[in-house]
Amino acid sequence: MTGAAAGARVSRVVDDGSITIGEQRNLWQDAARRFRRNWLAVGGLVVVACFLVLATIGPRIAPYDFLEQNIMKAFQGPSAEHFLGTDDLGRDIFSRMLHGARTAALVAFSTTAISLFIGALVGAWSGIRGGLADEFLMWISDLIQAMPGLLLVILINTTLRRPIVNWFDTLYEQTRNPFFLNTLWLDYALVFSALALIGWPGLARLVRGQVLSINEEDYVLAARALGASEWHIMLRHVIPNALGPLIVAVTAGMGGAIFLEAGLSFLGIGIQPPNASWGSMLEEGRRYWQIFPHLMLIPAVTIGIVQVAFVFLGDGLNDALDPRRTT
Amino acid sequence: MATFLLIRLLRWSVGLLLILFIAYAMMYYGAGDPIRMMFIQGEDFDSEDEVVMLALRKKYGLDDPFLVQFGNYLNNLLQGDWGRSIRLQVDRPVLEIVQFRLPISMQLGFAATVIGAVAGIGLGILSALYHNRWQDRLTISSVLFINGIPSFVIVPMLLYLLVLELKLIDVPYGWHGVFHVDAMLPIAVISIGVLPIVVRQTRSAMLEVKSQLYVRTARAKGMPESRIILRHMLRPVLTPVATTLGLIMISLINGSLFVEYILNIQGFGLLTIEGIKKVDYPIIMAVVVVGTLIIFVSNFLVDIIYPILDPRVRAQ
Repeated sequence: MTGAAAGARVSRVVDDGSITIGEQRNLWQDAARRFRRNWLAVGGLVVVACFLVLATIGPRIAPYDFLEQNIMKAFQGPSAEHFLGTDDLGRDIFSRMLHGARTAALVAFSTTAISLFIGALVGAWSGIRGGLADEFLMWISDLIQAMPGLLLVILINTTLRRPIVNWFDTLYEQTRNPFFLNTLWLDYALVFSALALIGWPGLARLVRGQVLSINEEDYVLAARALGASEWHIMLRHVIPNALGPLIVAVTAGMGGAIFLEAGLSFLGIGIQPPNASWGSMLEEGRRYWQIFPHLMLIPAVTIGIVQVAFVFLGDGLNDALDPRRTT
Repeated sequence: MATFLLIRLLRWSVGLLLILFIAYAMMYYGAGDPIRMMFIQGEDFDSEDEVVMLALRKKYGLDDPFLVQFGNYLNNLLQGDWGRSIRLQVDRPVLEIVQFRLPISMQLGFAATVIGAVAGIGLGILSALYHNRWQDRLTISSVLFINGIPSFVIVPMLLYLLVLELKLIDVPYGWHGVFHVDAMLPIAVISIGVLPIVVRQTRSAMLEVKSQLYVRTARAKGMPESRIILRHMLRPVLTPVATTLGLIMISLINGSLFVEYILNIQGFGLLTIEGIKKVDYPIIMAVVVVGTLIIFVSNFLVDIIYPILDPRVRAQ
């Protein structure tokens, strides 16, 4: 254990009666140790880290502009000039994939941030206050969770777009503010809000459950008996104890957001061209799959790898952060 | 018990009403005018068209104020009139379209559930019996792996592998019945989605049962291991698994959306996409009604069935 410097040395009596010197580890060191033993989870972490790095620096290292077309060079296979070949309009696939990574990462982070914010607020409010507000909020989140998620997201994305565009048009005519003229970012905003809308109820339920169950614990009762304030209990006991499950849920949520964004764009509803998204690239590539299968396979394999990495990472975190496991 | 179920029923039906209201409002204010879209696609557009458009709007009741429209829709819905398709299959009753489309998705889902259940329960038992050994680890990680790949990725990849590389099958296209060769690929892909849930649940329930005292007693009195598994371990395990299998219908409607879209199977999932792309109000509303209703009913059924299957719950 490399983090031994942090742990104080304590004596421990082993079964045969002899005394050995062991290391005391806190919860996080313990979790890190368990996580490192699970090589699938470590692999997932490495892939996710690579994905995030490429999403951040991607447009800098991209050899071409992701919109640059060259019809003369359409449908080329991988070559020295074009690392992964070119698509139907002669655009460099590698550059477009890098840009798609940025889209995916952007969606993952924004969506998770929004749904975590709403979910934590609603969940904490419900858990602490209880009563009628709790009943109502949990009813709403039940309803949203019961709806087919994809259907809800599709509905939001298709129906909210037009009124907002119209509204912006009138706003532009009234104010002449050029801000209202550009609606390219609207795709992103709509995808973020639709995904966050179906994302928050799960997190709210989780936070509420954590708040309720931790408040029942004896150590909270003890703290209360010693005169600790609610604020202190929240900061010292509830939040640190709820962090583990929350990290797991957030990781899963990020993977889910990437999946849904790719799926929406695949159906032609999410991120619209000319913006690059892995989902829309997969759909575009599918048109020529029998003649130029690489157009379809590159985004497909990439989405698959990233999704699997998120699943393994989430699973590994779930095992590692469960304090009931002691290995 | 009766009050509990009544409250549940009330909760879900008020919820359904709320969802229908919101969906209708989204259609009305956001989706655009389907009648105008019909005409925009034709090149010339003159004053005569305006008259026709007005008449068409009147015909489909699209000229009424929002609340009147919604009230009419609900009223008709309760009497079994789901409206008529405006653009997808012009003037055909929506109920007829739903009755044609839904059975296709249901057959796919049912076949996939059966295959997923058989394979999943088997694999779950296997990995529980070999708990923490390589058989267990391999099963769990490969199931996780398959679970991770989205269906809209796995279908194109399988198409590439089976059609282009191995040349085993022709491109499956459309729907020719559940026993046709073309149904194999969609059923296989959908059942992959079923598998992980069943495996995990069977495994964890099995592990819980494994250490029960009555299992030890059965073993102590010399009962053969196969009989212990079948008689004593499997029964309590199948209770939660059966519930899950019922709930899996939910994810199947969602999941088969991509599969049906890619393979052009005229099921309910494809209807969702077609309806939305054509801004066909009655179709979209029907999709929302059916999709939500199925889930609400299955949630409600869980509340009823669970006490019947599990005596421990009934006692409470």
